[in-house]
Amino acid sequence: MKTERRGNSAPISLPYSYHGLLFNNPQGSLPEAALKGRRLDGACTEKLLLHCASAIENNDVTLAQQVMWVLNNVASAVGDSNQRLISWFLRALIFRASRVFPTAAMNFHGTTALDQMIQTRSMSVTELAGYVDLIPWHRFGFCASNSAILKAIQGYPRVHIIDFSITHCMQWPTLIDALAKRPEGPPSVGITVPSCRPPVPPLLNVSSDQVGFRLANFAKTRDVPFAFHVIDCSSSCSKSAGADTLSGDFSRSFHHLMSQLNPCMLDLRDDEALVVNCQNWLRYLPADHLSLRNTFLEVIKGLNPCIMTVVDEDSDLDSSSLTSRITTSFNYLWIPFDALETFLPKDNAQRMEYEADVGHKIENIIGFGGMQRIERSESGFKLSQRMKNANFLRIPFDEETVGEVKLLLDEHASGWGMKKEDDRLVLTWKGHNSVFATAWVPINFQSS
Amino acid sequence: MPAELENTSAVTVSTASGEASASSSGNQTAPPSTTTKKKRNLPGMPDPDAEVIALSPKTLMATNRFVCEICNKGFQRDQNLQLHRRGHNLPWKLRQRSSKEVRKRVYVCPEPSCVHHDPSRALGDLTGIKKHFCRKHGEKKWKCDKCSKKYAVQSDWKAHSKTCGTREYRCDCGTLFSRRDSFITHRAFCDALAEESARAQTVANSNSEEDPKLQMVATAATSSPPPASSAPVISAGLPIQNPELPEVQENPSIILNHAPSATCLDGSSSSNSSSNGCGSSNNSSNVFASLFASSAAAGSLQPQTSSFSDLICAMARSERPTTLSAGSAAEPTSLCLSSTSLFAPVGAERRQFAPLPQPAMSATALLQKAAQMGAAGTNASLLRGLGLTMTSSSPSEQQESLQWSRRMEAEPAPLAAGLGLGLPCEGGTATGLTELMMGQSSLFGPRPTTLDLLGLGMGSGGAPTGGLSALITSIGGGLDVTAAAASFGGGGSSPGRTWEEASERKPNSPPALL
Repeated sequence: MKTERRGNSAPISLPYSYHGLLFNNPQGSLPEAALKGRRLDGACTEKLLLHCASAIENNDVTLAQQVMWVLNNVASAVGDSNQRLISWFLRALIFRASRVFPTAAMNFHGTTALDQMIQTRSMSVTELAGYVDLIPWHRFGFCASNSAILKAIQGYPRVHIIDFSITHCMQWPTLIDALAKRPEGPPSVGITVPSCRPPVPPLLNVSSDQVGFRLANFAKTRDVPFAFHVIDCSSSCSKSAGADTLSGDFSRSFHHLMSQLNPCMLDLRDDEALVVNCQNWLRYLPADHLSLRNTFLEVIKGLNPCIMTVVDEDSDLDSSSLTSRITTSFNYLWIPFDALETFLPKDNAQRMEYEADVGHKIENIIGFGGMQRIERSESGFKLSQRMKNANFLRIPFDEETVGEVKLLLDEHASGWGMKKEDDRLVLTWKGHNSVFATAWVPINFQSS
Repeated sequence: MPAELENTSAVTVSTASGEASASSSGNQTAPPSTTTKKKRNLPGMPDPDAEVIALSPKTLMATNRFVCEICNKGFQRDQNLQLHRRGHNLPWKLRQRSSKEVRKRVYVCPEPSCVHHDPSRALGDLTGIKKHFCRKHGEKKWKCDKCSKKYAVQSDWKAHSKTCGTREYRCDCGTLFSRRDSFITHRAFCDALAEESARAQTVANSNSEEDPKLQMVATAATSSPPPASSAPVISAGLPIQNPELPEVQENPSIILNHAPSATCLDGSSSSNSSSNGCGSSNNSSNVFASLFASSAAAGSLQPQTSSFSDLICAMARSERPTTLSAGSAAEPTSLCLSSTSLFAPVGAERRQFAPLPQPAMSATALLQKAAQMGAAGTNASLLRGLGLTMTSSSPSEQQESLQWSRRMEAEPAPLAAGLGLGLPCEGGTATGLTELMMGQSSLFGPRPTTLDLLGLGMGSGGAPTGGLSALITSIGGGLDVTAAAASFGGGGSSPGRTWEEASERKPNSPPALL
C-alpha cells in the first residue's frame, strides 16, 4: 500500500480501501490523475492549521470541524516527525476550540489534559539527566553558560549562583567538576534556586531540597565546598477558590520571589562572585505593559552580578495574533521533532516524552490567551535589545567556549551546528536557529 | 544486469555550471566531510566546460555503474573497469577511451528540494554526490551495534564505530556513557553515588571515588540508561512499546486485526473487512462523528481490548440512534484510526496503532471528503469519543489515578457528551470548506485570486461542487503556494526541510512534507 520509503519521509498514498469510496462519490468521478498519491506538503498543512484557527476565532464550527478532520487524517502521534508535529498542533487547536465552543454537557475545569498528564508524569533525577542530554537543546546552553561563568569568576574565592531555570540544576555538575580542577583550587560554591517554577515540563519527582542534597554530595566527592539554598516563594495569601490555575500560582509566587531578591535576603558576601543564570526562564515572564521581564532585569542588576547568563529559545512567540503564533511556532518547533526523528525510532519512549513536552508548549502557545499563556519567548535579537536597554553590557564568548561547544555538538547528530550572531551563540539544526546563549554584565558592575 | 550508464538525463550547461566545492552549502554543519579528494573551484567560479550529470536515485546508488561492454561485468570504479578490459585482449582501437570521457563531470543531487539539485551547486565527485544523497536523503541502513545511532553512508558508520565505545564512562550503577558531560551529570545525581558517600562516611575511608571511573570498555554495551529502572509513573504512564509492560503484550494480537478496519471509513463490526461498505454511509453526519469515534471496533474485539476502547465503543454505540441519518447498517464504531492514536498518547490503546501507517489519503481525497461531510450537515460532536479528558473530568476523578489512561477510563459520562463541539451546524453545507478553498470565505474578504487556500488562482465564480472538483484537479496538477504564502505573511516554507541557510527559503518548492 505504501510507496517506497525514501529517507525519513513516508509519502501518503491512497490505500485501496478508499478507491471504492471515491469512485462511488455522488459528485461524479474525478480525474484519476488528481487522486493519485498527492503529497500533503508542509505549506499545505500549515495553511490548514491557520484556517482552522481562523474558523475557531470566527466561531465557524462547521468549518473548523472540517479542517480538523482533514488534519486529523494527516496527523499521527506515531508517524514521522511532521505528522507528529501536526498532531500536537491539532490537539492544541482542538483544545482551543473546545473552550470557544462550550456546551452545557461540558464540565470544563480550566486545566488541560496535558496539565494533568504533565503533573503526574515526573521523572527521577537520573531520568532527567538523560532527558536533558537527548538532544543538545539544553546542554548547549549549559555548556556555553558554564564556560562563560568559569571565565568570569576567575580569581574569586567564593561564588554564588542564583539559578533560574526549568531543568532542576542539571547544569551544575559539570561546572562543579570543572571548578574542582581549577589550578588554584576550587572556590566555595553556593547555589540558590527559587522554590517556584513555571508549571511546565520537565517535572521532577523529588523536591529541590533533594536535588540540592545530591549536588552537595557530589561536590563533596570532588572536594568542592558547597552550599545549597532554596528561596521560599510561597506567598502568604491563600489560594483563591475557583479558577486557580497553575500559571496564576506561578505568577503570584514569582512576585514573592522578586521581593526576596536582595543582597540581604540572599546573604551575599563581598568577596563573592555573584552569578545569575537564566535558562529557559525569561520567556515565562510577561513582557507586556506590566513587563515583569524588565522589572526582573532591574532587580538582578541591583544585585551587582559579575555575570548574567541568558539562554532561551530563539523565536518570537509572543504575538497577540493567534495566526502569527501558529505560523511562527510551526516553523520553529519542527526542529526538536526532526532532530529526534534522526536517531530514535518511532515508538521510543524518551522520544515521545520529549515530544509531549513540546506539545505542552504548543498547547500553551495556541490554546491560551491572557495570563494563562505563559510561553512567551522572544528571539535572541530582541532579547539582546532588551538587555542593552536595561543597561547590561554583553560579554563575548571566547574561542575556548566556542571550541567546547563545537566538541559537544560533534558528539550529537550531524545536523546540529552552531553559529555566532552578534554577541550570541546560537545552536542550529540544519542551519535553522533553535537556542541562543548570551552573557551579560551590568554596565555599572562594581568588582570588589 | 547492465547498469544504466550515466546519461539518463545529461545536461550540458555552458554557463553557470560548476564544480562547486562539496562544502559550499554546508557552512554550518559538522558532518564528516565528503570525500572530495581533489581541490575544487570555489562556488561562483564554475567550469564552463563541465558536463552536468543528473542521475536518477536508482542510477546514482547503483553499485556497478561501469560495465564492460564485452562481458557485461559491472564495476564500481572506472579504473577497475579499464583494468578488466585489458584482460580481454582488445584490438588496439577499442582499447582507447572515447574522447568524450575526458570531459569534466559534475553531478547534481536528484532530490528536487535539495540545494545540490541546482546545477550551480553540483558536486564534482560522483562519490561525493552519492554520499551526500545517502546522508541527506537516504535511508539509514547502517546501525551502530553499541549505540542507537544510524547512518546512511557506510563510511560514516565505520568512522563512528571506531570511536563508539572506545571512550566510555561507567557509573557505579552500571550505566555507560560515551560523553563525559552526560556521565558527570548522571553521576552527580545517581543513587549509587549517594550510597557510596554514605558508606564512605560510616567507614571513614579516604575518598577513592574522586576520579570518574574511566574505563576502556572492550565489549559493546548499551549506553542508554536501563529503562527498567525508571520510576513506575513514567513507564506506565507513557506510550512505551516496552515489552516489559504487561498491558502491551496483550495488544499485538489486536493490531493486525485493527489494521484493515482502521483504514476503512466505515468501520464494520467485522474488524477484518477492509473494503466492505466503504462507499455507503459516508454522506451522513454519522460518518463525521464516527470518524472521531475510537477506532476500537469494540464489537469484534477480543477481550483483551483495554477498557478504554470498550468505553469508547460503548459510547459510540449508544450514540447511534441520535446521529444516524443514513440508514446504513454500518456502525459508528468506525474509525478514524488516527484519532485515537492522536489523542490517547498514553497507554495500551496507542500501542495498538503504533505500527500502522496513517489512513493514507491524498490531499484531494481528504478535502473532498471533508466537503462531503459538510454537505450532509454535522451535528456531531467533533471530538466525541476521542477520549480527551481535558474537557470534563470531575475533580475527584482527576485525583484518582496517576495515569492518563486510567483517567480516561474513569470518566464515561463526560465522554459521551464529547467535547462540546456538537453545536447545531451553522449553515452546514459544503460551501464552508469549498468557499475556503475558493478564497471566497468571509474570513479574508473579497480577494479570491490571491487567497485561495492552496493558491490555485481560481476565479470567484463556480458552483461549489464544480469548484471543488476543479480544485481537486488542480491539486493533482500542482500546488502553487506562493500566493497563499503571501497572504499569511511569512512562514512559507514547511517543516522537515533540508539544509538551508536561514535566509534562503524556497517557497516555490517546499520540501514535501512527507
